[in-house]
Amino acid sequence: MSRGALEYRRAVEHRDATVAELVVAVQAGSRAAFAGLYERFHRVVHAVVLARVPARDAGDVVQDVFADAWARLGGLREPAAFPGWLLTMARHRAIDHARRQRPTDEAGDLAVDPPPRAEAAAALRAIRALPETYRETLIMRLVEGLTGPEIAERTGMTPDSVRVHLHRGLKLLRDRLGAGGDAP
Amino acid sequence: MSDYLYDKTGDDAEVAELEGLLGGYAHRAPLRLPPPRRRRRWLAIAIPAAAVAIAAAIALLVIGRDEAGRGCPGGGPGFAFAIKGAAARCGGAAAAAGTSGTLPVGAWLETAAGAVADVRVADIGDLVVYGDSRLRLVGTGPDQHRLELARGRLSARVLAPPRLFVIDTPVAAAVDLGCAYDLTVDADGHTHLRVTSGAVSLEGKDGVVAYAPMGTEVVAVPGRGPGTPVAIDAAPAVRAAAARFDAGDAAAAMAVAVAAGPRDTVTLWNLLARTRGADREAVFRALDALSIRPEWVLEEDVLAGRPQALEDWRQSLDGEWMMR
Repeated sequence: MSRGALEYRRAVEHRDATVAELVVAVQAGSRAAFAGLYERFHRVVHAVVLARVPARDAGDVVQDVFADAWARLGGLREPAAFPGWLLTMARHRAIDHARRQRPTDEAGDLAVDPPPRAEAAAALRAIRALPETYRETLIMRLVEGLTGPEIAERTGMTPDSVRVHLHRGLKLLRDRLGAGGDAP
Repeated sequence: MSDYLYDKTGDDAEVAELEGLLGGYAHRAPLRLPPPRRRRRWLAIAIPAAAVAIAAAIALLVIGRDEAGRGCPGGGPGFAFAIKGAAARCGGAAAAAGTSGTLPVGAWLETAAGAVADVRVADIGDLVVYGDSRLRLVGTGPDQHRLELARGRLSARVLAPPRLFVIDTPVAAAVDLGCAYDLTVDADGHTHLRVTSGAVSLEGKDGVVAYAPMGTEVVAVPGRGPGTPVAIDAAPAVRAAAARFDAGDAAAAMAVAVAAGPRDTVTLWNLLARTRGADREAVFRALDALSIRPEWVLEEDVLAGRPQALEDWRQSLDGEWMMR
């Protein structure tokens, strides 16, 4: 049995396989282990992208990020650095995509399936208008449904930092929604 | 105590309403990867044979060739480039605006004032080299891509594992940790690094290292090496005190500690390894008050300057620096 197959079997057998173990298995050629990484990280990557890109395009950018990761993961020397590496790649991709778009593409947040309520698009825009520090964390929590500890585990932030970002971010969001009367 | 926003314990009607409103945007799509490529058996023989033949042809072309003075035609090994705006020189030969070529190992690319060169860094990124710059490809391979910026200005954008891409300047080496940054070297060799994404380790020839994450800048001076990174929007008092410290005034670390705010945690963290005794303690107190120190990073280890403790704290801080 190849090293990759062994690594993946270990990952499957131990459902709590670490990210580093999955990365090593992917580097040995396991597509299944990469699917495992996708399961753990696709929502945080989507949050990073959605913080900068219209919802209509965010899914495609996420797929591009993972396709890039699949192609380049063999060169990642420190498996434990995978979360930061992946999220940096997602930010680059999202920034590149946003630069090519019109400055305000409000329709891009409504043109998704199923169509969201106008208030949802307004709330998303309000989050995007917050300082960068809070945008990604709030989207991870309010859109993707991750808990604070899950956000900390997947981003490398400390749990206390996540808690502070969520509470300060929500306060700013509340002020903004209250002042603008946008939503909800 | 329950905290629904943080860990979904207890109740919070407002947060639940926002979740209901925004949950429709959650990502649910499955992974789409290209199907695995299946090589035909004859390809397994033909591809290595073709690679050997191509390598032999390249060797025949390269052997005995004097790169300097022969220009940089496209197609060979090296970094592809395109010149815009005004003329440049590559390998000692003129390269007019609008031309493209390949910068081979050992050759210099020199842009005239007003010229811009787009340089492709293998398959990991791109450089924009601005006018009046002098850049050399030191080496390129699977373990490292290395350039030397002797003078001028460039913007780098690299997506690669840490330490794969390095740019040497007369006083330091900018080691990429996965990022985008601007690098300027003036006529005296002063190096200015400004990081816009990810992080860069600016490493002096005497072993002094400055860790510069996104949103910070740092200057390296001949004879002194890399200074202390400061936030691009640092308060003038912090910036001035850090400059005094870099110029040799050890007591200025105390002034940084007193003036520092939340945006200056990068400066404080870098100062921990550069200070001693009471100065380090003052820096520690300031950083400890402005950030959340992991419980496994012990005060006595930080005050003793133990590298592992400083590194553990940096990794924790990185999460905040990279989210700005």
